[in-house]
Amino acid sequence: MSLTPLHAIFALMSLFTVGGAVGVVLNRNLIYAAMYLVLSLFGIAGLFILLEAPFLAAVQILVYVGAISVLITITVMVTRCVFCKEPPPRQLTLVAVMAALVMVTLGFVIMTRFGGLTPAADVPADSIEQLGVAFVNPQAYLVPFEVASILLLGALIGAIFIARDDLPRDEEAVGGDDHA
Amino acid sequence: MKDWTFIVILSIVAMATPLAPILIGRLIGPRKGNELKNATYECGVETRGDTWVQFKVQYYIFALVFLVFDVEVVFLYPWAVAYNRLPLFGVLAGVVFVITLAEALIYTIRKDALRWI
Amino acid sequence: MNLPTLESINLLAVLPVLIVFGWTLVLLVIDLFIPSGRKYWTAWLGILGLLGAAVALAVRFIDARGAAVTAFDGMLTVDGFSLFLQAIFILTAVIGILLALDFLPRHKIERGEYYILLLFTTGGMMIMSMAADLIVVFLALELLSIPLYILTGFARPRADSEEAAMKYFLLGAFASGFLVFGIALTYGGTGTTSLVGVFNQLAEGEPSRDLALVGMALILVGFGFKVAAVPFHMWTPDVYQGAPTPVTAFMSVGAKAGGFAALMRILIVAMPAVGEAWGMLVAILAMLTMILGNVVAIAQRNIKRMLAYSSIAHAGYILVAVSAAQRPEDAPLAVSAAIFYLLTYAFTNLGAFGVVLAVEREDGSGNLLEDFAGLGRSKPVLAAIMTLFMLSLTGMPVSAGLVGKFFVFQAAINASVGNPWILAAAIVGIVTSVISAFYYIRIILIMYMQEGEPQVVLKPALTVALALTALATLILGIIPAPVFQLAKDALLTLVG
Repeated sequence: MSLTPLHAIFALMSLFTVGGAVGVVLNRNLIYAAMYLVLSLFGIAGLFILLEAPFLAAVQILVYVGAISVLITITVMVTRCVFCKEPPPRQLTLVAVMAALVMVTLGFVIMTRFGGLTPAADVPADSIEQLGVAFVNPQAYLVPFEVASILLLGALIGAIFIARDDLPRDEEAVGGDDHA
Repeated sequence: MKDWTFIVILSIVAMATPLAPILIGRLIGPRKGNELKNATYECGVETRGDTWVQFKVQYYIFALVFLVFDVEVVFLYPWAVAYNRLPLFGVLAGVVFVITLAEALIYTIRKDALRWI
Repeated sequence: MNLPTLESINLLAVLPVLIVFGWTLVLLVIDLFIPSGRKYWTAWLGILGLLGAAVALAVRFIDARGAAVTAFDGMLTVDGFSLFLQAIFILTAVIGILLALDFLPRHKIERGEYYILLLFTTGGMMIMSMAADLIVVFLALELLSIPLYILTGFARPRADSEEAAMKYFLLGAFASGFLVFGIALTYGGTGTTSLVGVFNQLAEGEPSRDLALVGMALILVGFGFKVAAVPFHMWTPDVYQGAPTPVTAFMSVGAKAGGFAALMRILIVAMPAVGEAWGMLVAILAMLTMILGNVVAIAQRNIKRMLAYSSIAHAGYILVAVSAAQRPEDAPLAVSAAIFYLLTYAFTNLGAFGVVLAVEREDGSGNLLEDFAGLGRSKPVLAAIMTLFMLSLTGMPVSAGLVGKFFVFQAAINASVGNPWILAAAIVGIVTSVISAFYYIRIILIMYMQEGEPQVVLKPALTVALALTALATLILGIIPAPVFQLAKDALLTLVG
């Protein structure tokens, strides 16, 4: 098996993904950890491209690298202690042992089951179109599609309810008195 | 995969372009600092206090609403691409999706969550 | 794309859940224009929608005559099992709203969102009971969980409520991660997310089994969190204690039943080929859960915490039934025992939390065991009802709990031929039931034997909820046969 540029790109993307993840775990400053997370998510997008899944890669960039990392960064910024001086509590050994255990188990299963290399299947040129048709096809993914919309709605209501409502609270208290 | 080669080349060029002046400047530029030159702003008020401050929760709500509609785009994009191939039922199914998320917008606006306070 | 036929979509079969979701979407807009202070309109409208769904469910039940159909070409299965569980979910939701009607204004946390979110999670549970595809299982689980996280923190800015929500959210998200990983590995092993497809692949034999086995274990972990099985129970006491009491009542029943619904469908329908493996795992989980839940409950001074450990213990009894369903020939009896147990547990636990709610004070105190002292004298009827619930949770005669436990252990012993794990689980179950009598009966003793002046607030809606649950507990205890026949007919089927 000869090395190709693909191998190099795969190595680089894996380095981004794993290195970013390690950076997230080991960094004490939450903002920096968030930045490492962006790197890690970006690496995953690269891996999706190598797997011939460009739409997933675009989604990964758009949603994860774009929106979710912004959300995480902002969440860190609105917390009371942006850069806590004392390190967060850790039980590194225990966590490391657990993680190693899970990795060995899963690694073993995956190595034994997928020992050989499977060539990526040919992706049809209109894969996105097919996905779009499948989303609204009742014989394919219509139920998950609609449930997802309700899920998003519920999550939004919940998040706004949790995060906000301090201002309407006063108004409502006044309104409540009017009716009483 | 061929198409991605160009993107890789583009990103290498894009990274090299700003890096080059910095490196060149560092290599051949004279390094003589003084107090005025090292100031954060050469003209402007010096910042005071810690820059790691707590931000308003409003930012969070905006980011969150953005995220929800961002995810909605992900679902709607393939639907829009496939629009010409869809039967009426498929179009309606997408419309139901949009209506559900329009409710999210109505809720957000009605709860005054988008007003900056 | 082939035009779908009406038969293959089968909207009528899923009409109940369509009503719940459709009505919730309408109610969400209506609620925005209901003035605050009159949010009870939202509550009653929500109950109206649930009753509509109940009618649709009853019509469907009579229509189907036990036949199972699929909707959306195998994405959802509408069989007796899912109809029975949907009835439990609708009942739980109605009682959850009734419990909240007076509680929320009394604690000054009345918001229309409570009812909306409660309806959302009810819809999620209903989908969960029907889901015949792992993707739908995951989405339904999230739809069930996310509103519950919010509801747990509903009493904010009370610190314990916020803390509970935070804990529940973090551990719940963690559990969802396990579940997704499990689903991914199952998909990797079998090449399909449809339960029918997984069943066929596993039946074919070796190549896909290893991955699916690991996937099954991870799915078990994910649901173990949701149904509060030991050792994934750590969140339960804090969350049950911190959440507003109506939410605790609703969650302790609804989330558990929802989790068990999907767990049973995945394990029993799709994975009988590896039944021996998961049967053993589930039996071990069941034993740990029953022992820890019942033993730690003895040490609790706070009744919500005590009921949290009791709910952990009850998850263990249901797990015994799940483990007894590992062989296809034992499955029908075990599944009907499990869902009947869920029904009895639903009524009893909702009622018990209803009494807790009546004794609770506005500042969030009044949850200690001592606060029940003197209830027997000052409110004899309420005390009698509480006694009934406690006896039912123990599994004493003339209560639903005994019948539920009886059927579970009967199913377990039936299935235990040649399988020591199930037998062991059944024996542990019987022993721990005896242990559990200690802390349940202590409440009764405190109510009748100790002096005290409990402050009880009993409004009409709460009274209705208590009367309903007490009556159901009593009736299921005295004449369980008709309802158990329903549970027996409620087969869990593989259709596709």
